[in-house]
Amino acid sequence: MKIRIISFLIGLIVISGCSENKKKKKESTSWKFSKEIQLGNISPIGIVAQGNFLWLSDVDNNRIVKIDLDGKTIESFDGFQRPMHIAIQKDKIYVPEFTSDAVKIIENRNVSMLALKENTDAIGGISVDGNTVAIADFYNHRIILQQYDKVAIIGKEGHNDGELYYPTDVEIKNELIYVADAYNNRVQVFDFEGNYVKMIGWNENIKVATGVKVTDTQIIIADFEGNRILIYDLNGKLLQTLSDKYNQPTDIEIVNDKMYVVNYKGKSISVFNE
Amino acid sequence: MKNTVKHTGLLVLSLIFFFSLSTTNAQTSSNEITYVKVEVKGLACPFCAYGLEKKLKELKGIETIKIDVEEGLAYLTTLTSQKPTKETLEKIVTDAGFTPSSVVFSKKPFNLKDEN
Repeated sequence: MKIRIISFLIGLIVISGCSENKKKKKESTSWKFSKEIQLGNISPIGIVAQGNFLWLSDVDNNRIVKIDLDGKTIESFDGFQRPMHIAIQKDKIYVPEFTSDAVKIIENRNVSMLALKENTDAIGGISVDGNTVAIADFYNHRIILQQYDKVAIIGKEGHNDGELYYPTDVEIKNELIYVADAYNNRVQVFDFEGNYVKMIGWNENIKVATGVKVTDTQIIIADFEGNRILIYDLNGKLLQTLSDKYNQPTDIEIVNDKMYVVNYKGKSISVFNE
Repeated sequence: MKNTVKHTGLLVLSLIFFFSLSTTNAQTSSNEITYVKVEVKGLACPFCAYGLEKKLKELKGIETIKIDVEEGLAYLTTLTSQKPTKETLEKIVTDAGFTPSSVVFSKKPFNLKDEN
């Protein structure tokens, strides 16, 4: 019996050690450029993955496009008014319209509307987590957090900690809200109560922080004007800077251990392997 | 009697002709288009460009808007009868977060870059 317990404990230690190593490896992983996918006349802003497909918002052409991982167009949905940073939850693609201030949902080829509880002025991005919806309200310099009938406002116009200046993207991850605080040149993190938690990217002289992607171990920022992708750990420590392969990057998505970065001006996707 | 009917008929026809002519002229005048080119400083990204487009769309009488992000230009066509003033356009640009550099009104279309 004693031997069994000791074997079990040793096993447990070995497994947890392996898992810790894997986590450390993930945190220190460096991304390497793999290839460029040309998108033809698509001018992408937002990107989300659905299985082995990618959805892109094509802002110049007012449409949402579904492509495969090689860039081949599968289908497209027209009639959107300047769609920006999109989000996905299960089979629903959430599309914020910058011009109309509406959020539309594409599901099984049907388009419906998401009821918003607060007026906005130019929605730059959206994130959906369970029943919580976060919206980047560009001209009002704030994030709107909508849960059922409850609405919370995060941030106000300004340049200090907790203040925002033209936010363009937002992501809910692990009970935190990450905001691409575009023209404050940083990403800011808030809790669900709207309290300021931390700032990321200030030391790197980001020119315009247009997009943010958060994984289990990393925070990835698209620097639109700086033509860079900056990779941080969850504490905000810079791990890697990727440059030279971008032409006005706006958003990032991770699929099957590959990173897909959309380039607005380049009308392309830069693909990176771990 | 026949002559009176003939003269009355001619008079009615002439009146109809002149009336329709003046209506056509009035319609032409109210549909007249003015072309506007606004030069904007600080128009750097699609969020800025389409933000300005959103604000300009709120103006009455605007028919079309085209933003050239690279050149920092906004091209508008507007009904001449509802043409916005230079000051109104400058205020919209400023409120949208940019600095207006120049506003040019023209009766002829501007030569847009991608039409060359």
